[in-house]
Amino acid sequence: MIRVAAVGDIHLGLDSEGLLRPALETLPDCADLLLLAGDLTRHGTPEEARVVAREMAGLGVPVIAVLGNHDHHDEQPERVTAVLREAGVQVLEGQGTVVDVDGTRVGVAGTKGFGGGFVGRCGSEFGEPMMKEFIRYSRRCADGLRTALEDLAGKGCGTRVALTHFSPVPDTLAGEPLEIYPFLGSYLLAEAMDTAGADLALHGHAHLGTEHGMTSGGVPVRNVAQPVIRRAFHVYHLSGRAGGSQLATPADVAG
Amino acid sequence: MTAPNTDYLIAHLQERLAAEELGELGVRIEARGPGVVVTGTVPTARCREELVRTVDEELAGLTVRYDIVVAGTAAPDLPEEVT
Repeated sequence: MIRVAAVGDIHLGLDSEGLLRPALETLPDCADLLLLAGDLTRHGTPEEARVVAREMAGLGVPVIAVLGNHDHHDEQPERVTAVLREAGVQVLEGQGTVVDVDGTRVGVAGTKGFGGGFVGRCGSEFGEPMMKEFIRYSRRCADGLRTALEDLAGKGCGTRVALTHFSPVPDTLAGEPLEIYPFLGSYLLAEAMDTAGADLALHGHAHLGTEHGMTSGGVPVRNVAQPVIRRAFHVYHLSGRAGGSQLATPADVAG
Repeated sequence: MTAPNTDYLIAHLQERLAAEELGELGVRIEARGPGVVVTGTVPTARCREELVRTVDEELAGLTVRYDIVVAGTAAPDLPEEVT
């Protein structure tokens, strides 16, 4: 069994020092790894990133993160990433990483992702250059996630988790105003997961959403935004499979 | 002089909450009945104070009702078995 702890949207600021630490220190007893689904800061400043770094340092379990839109606001995501990496947090963007859990290879593929909307209610690469770039950027994020998931399958990961900030499905947005769904996620992320295969998808971003959802290809999705789960983190137990995890077939995706 | 348009007051308040110290985009602000309702979850008690101060300032003269929760920081009680 793989025990995955996860939270997103912790939005730490200079007044948050030590707030999550007591709960996080229980992690070695209840989880094998901690995944952070973006929006770790409020404005994406290096000072806020240092608060996150101190909160996450030396927890006794691997900590793997993606950034969120708030972590980009100060326009120095590279510095935020560097501060987190110094504290031992792995930050993924179109990349994957492998964690060994009692001999089982667990793969985590991550991207921030972006908006665009969901099938039948989404933007397209059409019209003004800004609109085209909006959707192209979303597509690049999704392509990075798909490639990372496929690489992890090739590396013999029996269990693969897709970690994003933006949502892959509308299910977990229930509670948010319908009008803003295109700013909360993109079906391209779900399509990437259903094409490459994944055992669990975790995201944040939608504070007013709900925890449970599923891609049309059957990947369980959980919105782990802290305002949604109302805890320092949640823990998900996955039954680890030995050997290479399966790629979804076209029939699986269609079904 | 006409009374301020509540719709635009709310829109400008939301812009201000995002742009200023709070960086807050996750709070819902809606005109309801004769006043305005502010709901959502904020990261800390200090953020809640700052939110209330900013909203009261921007919507001075309107009746504002708050339902703001500070995010939970406890460890979870039970794991979920994902099948």
